[in-house]
Amino acid sequence: MIGWFDQNLVSILNGFAIGSLLFILAVGLSIVFGMMDVLNLAHGALFLVGAYLAWNLLSDGATWGGFLAALGIAALVGLLAGGVLSVMTEPLARRPILDQALLTLGVSLVVAEVLSIVYGNDALSVGAPPGLAESVSFLGRSYPAYRLALIGVGLVLAAVVYVVVERTSVGALVRASVADREMVSAMGIDNRKVKVAVLGIGSMLATVAGVLGAPVYGARPGLDDTILILALVVVVIGGLGSVKGALVGALVIGQVESLGRALLPDVASFILFGTLALVLVLRPRGLFGPRKLAGT
Amino acid sequence: MSAAVESTVADTPVSADRPDGRRRPPPLLRALPAVLALVLLAAAPFFLAPFATTVLGRVLVFALFAVSLDLLVGVTGLPSLGHAAYFGVGAYTAGLVSVHVTSEGVVPVLAAGLAGAVAAAATGWLAVRSSGVFFLMLTLAIGEIVFQLATTLDSVTGGSNGLYGIPAVRLGGTPLTLAGYVYWFVLAVTVAGFACLWLVSRSPVGGVLRGIRDNEPRMRSLGYSPFRYKYVAFVIAGAFAGVAGGLFAAQVRLVTPSEAGFTTGALALLAVVLGGAGSLWGPVLGAAVVVLVRDALGPTLDGHGPLVLGIVFVLAVYLLPRGFAGLAGVSGALRRRRAARGGAT
Amino acid sequence: MTVHGLPRGRLLGSLGAVALLSATTACGGGSLGGGEESGGEGDGGGGGTIRVGLVIPQAGVYTPLGEDMQQGWDLWLEQNDSRMGDYEVETVVADEGEGPDTGVPAIQRLLQEEQVDVVVGIVNSATALGAADQFTEAQKLLIVANAGAGAITGEATSPYVWRTSFTNAQVAAAMGQHLAEEGVGPVYVMAPDYAAGQEVVAGFTEAYEAGGGTVAGQALTPFGTTQDYQPFLSGIRESGAAATFVFYSGAEAVSFVQQYDSFGLKADIPLYGSGFLTEGSVLEAQGPSAVGVQTTLHYSTEIDNEVNTDFVEAYEAAYDEPPTVFGMTTYDTANVLADALAEAGGLSGEELSAALEGLGEIEDSPRGPWSFNGQTPEQSIYLREVTDEGGTLVNSVVTDLGTFPQPGS
Repeated sequence: MIGWFDQNLVSILNGFAIGSLLFILAVGLSIVFGMMDVLNLAHGALFLVGAYLAWNLLSDGATWGGFLAALGIAALVGLLAGGVLSVMTEPLARRPILDQALLTLGVSLVVAEVLSIVYGNDALSVGAPPGLAESVSFLGRSYPAYRLALIGVGLVLAAVVYVVVERTSVGALVRASVADREMVSAMGIDNRKVKVAVLGIGSMLATVAGVLGAPVYGARPGLDDTILILALVVVVIGGLGSVKGALVGALVIGQVESLGRALLPDVASFILFGTLALVLVLRPRGLFGPRKLAGT
Repeated sequence: MSAAVESTVADTPVSADRPDGRRRPPPLLRALPAVLALVLLAAAPFFLAPFATTVLGRVLVFALFAVSLDLLVGVTGLPSLGHAAYFGVGAYTAGLVSVHVTSEGVVPVLAAGLAGAVAAAATGWLAVRSSGVFFLMLTLAIGEIVFQLATTLDSVTGGSNGLYGIPAVRLGGTPLTLAGYVYWFVLAVTVAGFACLWLVSRSPVGGVLRGIRDNEPRMRSLGYSPFRYKYVAFVIAGAFAGVAGGLFAAQVRLVTPSEAGFTTGALALLAVVLGGAGSLWGPVLGAAVVVLVRDALGPTLDGHGPLVLGIVFVLAVYLLPRGFAGLAGVSGALRRRRAARGGAT
Repeated sequence: MTVHGLPRGRLLGSLGAVALLSATTACGGGSLGGGEESGGEGDGGGGGTIRVGLVIPQAGVYTPLGEDMQQGWDLWLEQNDSRMGDYEVETVVADEGEGPDTGVPAIQRLLQEEQVDVVVGIVNSATALGAADQFTEAQKLLIVANAGAGAITGEATSPYVWRTSFTNAQVAAAMGQHLAEEGVGPVYVMAPDYAAGQEVVAGFTEAYEAGGGTVAGQALTPFGTTQDYQPFLSGIRESGAAATFVFYSGAEAVSFVQQYDSFGLKADIPLYGSGFLTEGSVLEAQGPSAVGVQTTLHYSTEIDNEVNTDFVEAYEAAYDEPPTVFGMTTYDTANVLADALAEAGGLSGEELSAALEGLGEIEDSPRGPWSFNGQTPEQSIYLREVTDEGGTLVNSVVTDLGTFPQPGS
């Protein structure tokens, strides 16, 4: 047992690092869908915007100033993008969910294509800020310091989101909106303002995750789709609209993508969607989704 | 949350085919556009060049696939992202039957339909228990797993290089090599398949499916089992996706994992939404646009297709809220209104 | 490319497509006639125009390769006033996209609609394999300028399909043989889980074991969806391998080489690869992590011969970047096609194939002399090592490992 643990320690650690990043990415997607019924397929493209921003500011040598500036700019860009998306999806509020999916998919294609025109089609790599670019020795194994830091950032953000959603009045509003939107608007709260705010914050989390993920994943065409699918899987496994679900889903998928692939390399191609299918077969609404089937 | 999902399910379909009054033209007149379209399609090889004929054949294959998906998306209210799995299963089955057994007539295509139905029956009982986004994601997972299987089982499928060297369809022992004859074969099977799906959609079963789509609890309280009906719809849709896959193998004579993959499934869903979900004939037009642009225009765009594609998506959502079918519905409504006004004066 | 292949590069307005289709009807004739003889303007060999279809990826993950190929092609034409033999060259570019679902119709359009005489290019092996029948039926020449599947000039061969690039196993077998001779010890083999990766693994393993080496283990990683190689890197460490041989290209090559370094394997277990691991733009993105990695390939910008020096100089002058193997091969393809045209009596697949058959050794290639053997190159494979030349990373030539044919041919 000790031997097994020792052998797979790096994989487990790495699963947490990936899980942290996925949580930051997925929690925005989850709340946006849970509260607003907007299936935002542009989430992956926003991640990629963040990654390219990081490349812009860090390609001439990674500095802390550049890294923090990238985070700040990405946050602003994300908020703005969320506002724009909110305006764009407003006329579709009463339309089938597929229409919103089609719209945001269109937006993501446009954004991805513009990025590829601006940045070219090559894979770009982004350095970690000073001090985190090296590998550290962790119980006798070499591990990139940046990924360790990522685990810390993920934990802090998870705690912040949890406190905001569970302990503040804003959070109460969010929870109420997920549970029963009609009631919230009946209480005289402007649904549209809530929507702008939620989409803004959700999109901001996506662009910020892009900056944070850049030293790990780099920036390249096609990364948006890969990331979007991962985030969707996390959100669906966890249950839509649930912060706890997004956290557990992200940690599960982080381990599946890391430890799972290390233990079962022969079925590595099947393991992600196999997990998704398994969870949905056992829990058709995700792990933390509402137990009750809709309309019954 | 439950309200959200409920509205998702209820909103998804577009009821362009609702009985909208008794002032319909007589049946013969109503069938006229369909007959005209059929005559034009049948005559196409006489005046189209081989490449254009082949593209039209691809349109037909993809149209049948899209219409089978519409039975799920539009009629039953189950938006599937993994329908390409059954298309792929059908294509591989037809390809393998043609290579190893016979490429005589409809044998590979029927085998493909059967394989599609079996695959849909094996996976559908899991999928139809969920709905809305969860159904979307579960079908995506099924599609991806089939895609990975096609890539991994390279001794059977040829892996990512694909199953190539599929012999031409034979009729009475004579291989159909000319584009026009292959096209007619594809047209005949497509029309038969479309007719079957049309009949299913018009049958009492189709009525129950629409009922489930619009109000599942009510149908349950009326004594119908939504699960059983959805399952049947899923298997039928899978069977005809398989037939379409079989036609694909006959027409293109190359099957690769991407036939079962995400892009194929997403394009079919796009064709359905673009054409107007639930109308069955709308997705045919949607499929035509998708294939024409991908095969005839795409290679000439210097790789700037995605930008245009994205813009088309966005515009389509705003300008064609009910797809092409909705466009016809609008013009029909206008005409009726004008006619009514004309009658009044 | 599983999931990330969202419907990219496909749609324009329906109007345009409909217009295009109706324009094609103007050709008339229907599609029921016998095998239409087409594209014969230049037949007879007395000069005129040759229409060449250049099939390259312009959208999707392989776009950088397509750019290099286009540049190689354009450079040759520019240097030769767009003339091959007695013919004026007209190039029709078509986008092959990411796979055969877009590539095969693109080629069909070139053959039937654009009436090209010859097609060159093609990155994706499945596209080349799926289109081969079309060339047999149309009796026209295809010169594959990249796709490396053995079957293209192996079991699925057509008399009209030739290749100027490489085969996956050829490049890997050279490394297998070399490492066996060096006696590096047990080697761990890794590649993406798709046809090319499997061919590389098989080609390397066969050659390495034939030379007396042992394989410590192997892993095939999910193709196109693996961003993080750490789970597999653990497997390498646990296997007790003395060296690692891998095949990755594009973004996967960048991630792999960087992570191999940052998880501390590079220091303990030397990394070898098929040349695509460090070829072209990926090398710059890999940065210092790539220094010291040894690969085999049929080309390097650092090959010391006069033709290559001139080629590299001209390419850098024209495009402000060093050439890649993809640009070189397409440049070479134009060169070979011109040689064949000078010999051939006409533009049919029959005549051009006979001319290619008769070319013998090709002397004036940047990669050094090579010849066709079974319609695919028998050529020198070079052992290369990534070195830092004054801040620029290059694939220095360590040695010429000798000429290799397509394995199994």
